[in-house]
Amino acid sequence: MVVVWCPDWPVVAWGIPLDEPAAVVVANRVIATSPAAREEGVEVGQRRRDAQGRCPDVAILERDIDREARLFEPVAAALEAITPQVEVTGAGLVGFPTKGPSRFFGGDKTLADEVLGVVQPVLAGRGVARIGVADGVFAARLAARSTHAIHGPVIIHPGESATFLAGFGIEALDMPSLGDVLVRLGLRTLGSFAELSGADVSGRFGQEGLVAHRLARGEDQHPPDLRRPAGDLAVTWQFEPAAERIDQCAFAAKALADELHAALWSQGLACIRIAIEAETEAGERQLRLWRHEGALSAAALAERARWQLDGWLNAGAGGRPTSGVVRLTLIPDEVVPASGRQLGFWGGRAERADDVTRVVARIQAMLGPEAVSVPERRGGRGPGEQIELIPAAAVDLGEPRPATEASWVTEPWPGQIPRPAPSQVFDDPQPIELTDVNGGDLMVTGRGDLSSPPALVRFGRGRRMAVTGWAGPWPADERWWDPLTHRRRARMQLMCDDGSAHLVSIEHQTWWHEASYF
Amino acid sequence: MALRAARAELSPELINKIRPVTLAQERILAVPEPLLPLFPWGGLQRGTTFGVSGNGSWSLAMALMAESLGSQGWLAVVGAPTFGLAAASDFGIRLDRVLVVEEPGRSRWGAVVSSLLESVDMVAIAPDATVGARDARRLVAKAREQESVLLHLDGGRSWPTGLDTTLAVIDEGWQGLGEGHGYLQARRARVEAVGRRAGGMNRSVSVWLPGPDGRLAAAGAQVSELRPRLVG
Repeated sequence: MVVVWCPDWPVVAWGIPLDEPAAVVVANRVIATSPAAREEGVEVGQRRRDAQGRCPDVAILERDIDREARLFEPVAAALEAITPQVEVTGAGLVGFPTKGPSRFFGGDKTLADEVLGVVQPVLAGRGVARIGVADGVFAARLAARSTHAIHGPVIIHPGESATFLAGFGIEALDMPSLGDVLVRLGLRTLGSFAELSGADVSGRFGQEGLVAHRLARGEDQHPPDLRRPAGDLAVTWQFEPAAERIDQCAFAAKALADELHAALWSQGLACIRIAIEAETEAGERQLRLWRHEGALSAAALAERARWQLDGWLNAGAGGRPTSGVVRLTLIPDEVVPASGRQLGFWGGRAERADDVTRVVARIQAMLGPEAVSVPERRGGRGPGEQIELIPAAAVDLGEPRPATEASWVTEPWPGQIPRPAPSQVFDDPQPIELTDVNGGDLMVTGRGDLSSPPALVRFGRGRRMAVTGWAGPWPADERWWDPLTHRRRARMQLMCDDGSAHLVSIEHQTWWHEASYF
Repeated sequence: MALRAARAELSPELINKIRPVTLAQERILAVPEPLLPLFPWGGLQRGTTFGVSGNGSWSLAMALMAESLGSQGWLAVVGAPTFGLAAASDFGIRLDRVLVVEEPGRSRWGAVVSSLLESVDMVAIAPDATVGARDARRLVAKAREQESVLLHLDGGRSWPTGLDTTLAVIDEGWQGLGEGHGYLQARRARVEAVGRRAGGMNRSVSVWLPGPDGRLAAAGAQVSELRPRLVG
């Protein structure tokens, strides 16, 4: 296998030169950095503010996976000049089998140089490409990511993968929970783990351990004799009239992915490599192979189809098709028996998430793609700012989602309202009447004090109620560093004579009903 | 052994009669311990309709759902855009198991809820208009068939028929807030069960909703038997 890896792709895709400090964040956590930012101490996993603390002039960018995939498409397309077997693992990572091409170009070394020669013009200085060659995907990937690859392609000769891998730490497996256990058992390197017998590993760590063991020994994740093509399960969508827009294609891709996934599931199969083929009215065709070692879920299948078509339909003048898409086909190119990873280990978690994902898709078809959302945590003072809803289509419901865990936002926000959190939060607060005992308007002075004690309150068209208790006002000077979005307001908790309790705020001399403790 | 031998002698008809009992047991979802006296079957029955009403009812719903859903159950919140997810999470609902449909639209409302009842364990609703009798019948049937729970955040006010069970929050009061000092800390409330499946007697328990630790907790005397009352 040859693997081409473009490091820091999330940053590169934003068009930021790598010698400028930049970091890409998801939900205020850094997920990628430019080398210049790393030199300043910005690290993956840091909070946005910590990154800005280390390097004040770091450019902070929100992650845009679609953009990453779209801009990577030309790289994959360029490699097709060498072989039709190009398989994309994700934006920034692509590979193909060396067997034929290596013979054609006269050896792995010349092949690797050829690859570099093809990829570099496409990158046009916007990023770099690292190349690794080895027997299997895993070893080739680590070769490309090893420090040696900075100076040129790293070639691991046939049969030497295990030796090459032995020196890497367990974390190279990228299986955190298993890795923790192994390290605690004193197995710190892939080499020491590989020395265990397969039977012992299987007995102690089950399917996941066995997969890790195969990788550490330089073998393929899935034994070759288990893999087979399943072209007979291919699913096709005919567009009539031809689809011109990406959202039409994406909708079809989702339906096809669901259908294919259900068919595979009923046969106990999981797809680890899929061929996605699109054909236009004018007969232009584009076929791309996508690989995913952990078996592609329906959502992941659909996502890849969308990336591919997005990249193709939005390519530069030369690469773009001249007419609309008339046919979209998903071909399960390599399938394996569905492993314990999908069932059992997490108690049917993947299957269950697929069920939920299916119903999400159905509702999206009824109401539109944004209709179903899922919560994620954000830092913030106001009750409505601590949780944000993002479209369910943007996440893989079968994967762990750290942004939903309480630990995601750790630091206390100064000026945050004390717990318990209100059970009713109004996205669109309504003005209320809050007066003192004489019916006079209630104001907050410049020093943050109430002009007089609150006595009467009226929400909407409800009856006027007596205020039986209150706390605050707590000033909340928000975004004071930005004159455009700067908000100055103060919040107060109110208790009414009907036993209800509310959170209200004053801004621009008007009181607003923000939330209720219902 | 003796038991197994005895069972083998039972006629198949009798075994069939026994079986639903065990199955019903499996269909019970856990509820917070302080609320147990309100559930004659020892928990929340899957496949039923359920409502909450009164000041504090959404907090009650959150505490109840957190326990019933556990770490694996999925929850969908439909047409209740004000549902406070930060509070839900504080009560123990896992945010990675929550779907939100903020605006299901009136014409598709029934279809959306029906779809969700197929795949998630609980669907919490707060319809903004009265639900048609046909939609209601269909959803009740769907919940029963899929063994999911339809939870009415509005106490069933928009529902054309009675609910299987409603928990009403009564006599509630917040503590911790004074006249210009302190902050809302804990709420003491009595919760009363009414409805077809509430076991005839109207029972009530005293709870903290939430207590100072943010969770539902027992407060004082456990159960007080009230007069039987006509409902529905």
